[in-house]
Amino acid sequence: MQNFAQEMQAAFALVLAGDSELLGIVGLSLRVSLFAVLCAALIGMPLGAALAVGRFPGRRAMVVLVNALMGLPPVVVGLIVYLMLSRSGPLGVLQLLYTPTAMIIAQVVLVTPIIAALTRQVVEMLDAEYAEQMRSLGLSRLATVPVLLWDGRVALLTALLAGFGRAIAEVGAVIIVGGNINHVTRVMTTAIALETSKGNLALALALGAVLIGIAVAVNALVSLLGARSRAEALAHA
Amino acid sequence: MNGTGQQPELSSVVSAKGLDLTFQTNDGPVHALKDVNLEINKGDFVSFIGPSGCGKTTFLRCIAALETPTGGSLTVNGMTPDEARRKRAYGYVFQAAGLYPWRTIAKNIKLPLEIMGFSRQEQEERVRKVLELVDLAGFGGKFPWQLSGGMQQRASIARALAFDADILLMDEPFGALDEIVRDHLNEQLLALWARTGKTIGFVTHSIPEAVYLSTKIVVMSPRPGRITDVIESPLPRERPLDIRDSKEFIEVAHRVREGLRAGHADD
Repeated sequence: MQNFAQEMQAAFALVLAGDSELLGIVGLSLRVSLFAVLCAALIGMPLGAALAVGRFPGRRAMVVLVNALMGLPPVVVGLIVYLMLSRSGPLGVLQLLYTPTAMIIAQVVLVTPIIAALTRQVVEMLDAEYAEQMRSLGLSRLATVPVLLWDGRVALLTALLAGFGRAIAEVGAVIIVGGNINHVTRVMTTAIALETSKGNLALALALGAVLIGIAVAVNALVSLLGARSRAEALAHA
Repeated sequence: MNGTGQQPELSSVVSAKGLDLTFQTNDGPVHALKDVNLEINKGDFVSFIGPSGCGKTTFLRCIAALETPTGGSLTVNGMTPDEARRKRAYGYVFQAAGLYPWRTIAKNIKLPLEIMGFSRQEQEERVRKVLELVDLAGFGGKFPWQLSGGMQQRASIARALAFDADILLMDEPFGALDEIVRDHLNEQLLALWARTGKTIGFVTHSIPEAVYLSTKIVVMSPRPGRITDVIESPLPRERPLDIRDSKEFIEVAHRVREGLRAGHADD
C-alpha cells in the first residue's frame, strides 16, 4: 500500500480533474437520493400533517410507530425490500431488483418516517399555538392545514434536509437491493466500500471527500435554518 | 357623540338565556357556567369581571363558538354561535398577542385577509387603515419581537379589526401589561370604539379597567360560574382618564367590589 499522503493527493486530483467515473457515481447518488426524498416527502408530509391535526382512533399508536420507524436499521430495510423484489417475492414480476428504482424504494422506506415524524412535530406545535386563532377566523380544522404547512415551511425544509442526509449517506440497504453494479447501481457509499476492499484508495477517498462535503453542506444548512427558527421562537417567547 | 349617535332601537347582538356549560372531568362535573342570562346590544362595551374560575372567559369563548354550551340558548346576531363564527361575525383578541414571529406586523394582519381571499390591493388598504386605527402606522414592516408588549397587543387588535367584524371579543388583552401602558391602551381602545361603533366584549381582572371602559359591567362569581350583578354604567360615553376621580366612577367601582365580595361569601 502506498502511503496515505500520496493517496490523498491522488484523491484530490481526481476530484479537481472532475474524473468521469467519479462524476458518474456522484451523479447517480444524487439522482437516487433526491428522487427518494421527493417521494418520501409526498407521502410523509401529508401523513405527518394528518397525524398532527387529525383526531381518529389509533392516532397515538401511529405516532409512536412513525417515531420508532425513524430508527429503522438500513440493512434490515434492505433485506425486506430485497425479499419483496426478488424473483420469488410478491413484487418479483416487476424485475426491479438491482436497479436504481430498487434503491429508491429502499431509501423511501427509510426516509418517509423521518419526514413524517418531523412534519408531525412541526405542524402539531404550530397547531397548538394557532388552532384557536384559526378557528376564530372562521376556518375549519382541515382548512388550517395548508396555512400551517406554509407558515412552517422553514422547519419543514429542515425535515427534508434531514431525510436527504440519511438517504445519501446510507449504505446497508442500497448495497443489498442495488447490488453495486458498475455504471448501473454503484453509488458513493457502495463504491467506497468496494474500492476500499480492492485497495483503490484514491477513488474511495475522493468519493468520501465528496460525500462528507455533501453531508457537511446539508447539516450546515439544517443548523442554519434551525438556528434561525430557534432565534425567532426565542424572540417570540 | 360620534358614530353611536344613531340608535333608533336597541338591537340585540348577543342573547344568552339559561346558559349552562358543564365540563366532565375525572373529579366529577365542573359547572363552568350556570343559568347565565344576558343581552348585549349593538354598540355596547360590555366587561366581564370576576375571580378565576367564574366563567368570564368561558362565556366569551361560548360567544365565539370556541366552547359549546351544554344547556340553554345562545345566539349571536340571531344565529347560532358557530354559524356566526363561520360568517366571521367577530374578531377575537386572545390573552397572548399570538403573532407569528416569522411574519412582519403587516403580514400578521394580512393573514386573515389572505385566508378570506381579499385582493392584494384591498389587503394593503385594510392593513394601512387598521394600523392607523391602533396607532401603529409605520410599524408594518417590523417583526413582532421588535415591538414592545403593548405594541404587540395593539397589533393583535389590529388583526382582529382587519376584516371589519361588527363584534370585537377581547380576553384580558392587557392583562400582562404594566399599569401605565394599560392606561394608555384603555384610552386608545375607547377612542377606537367611539370611531368604529363596534360591539365589544371584554374580559378583565381589573375593577378600574372595567369601570373605565364599559357601558355595561357583568360581575361574575365561581362555583358554579354565574352572573351576580349587571351594572349599566351611568358614566357618559366620552371619558377622559380623570373621570376615574369622579363620584360616579367611585360609586360604580364600589358596587362592582361589593358584587365580587358577595360572590365570595358562600366560599
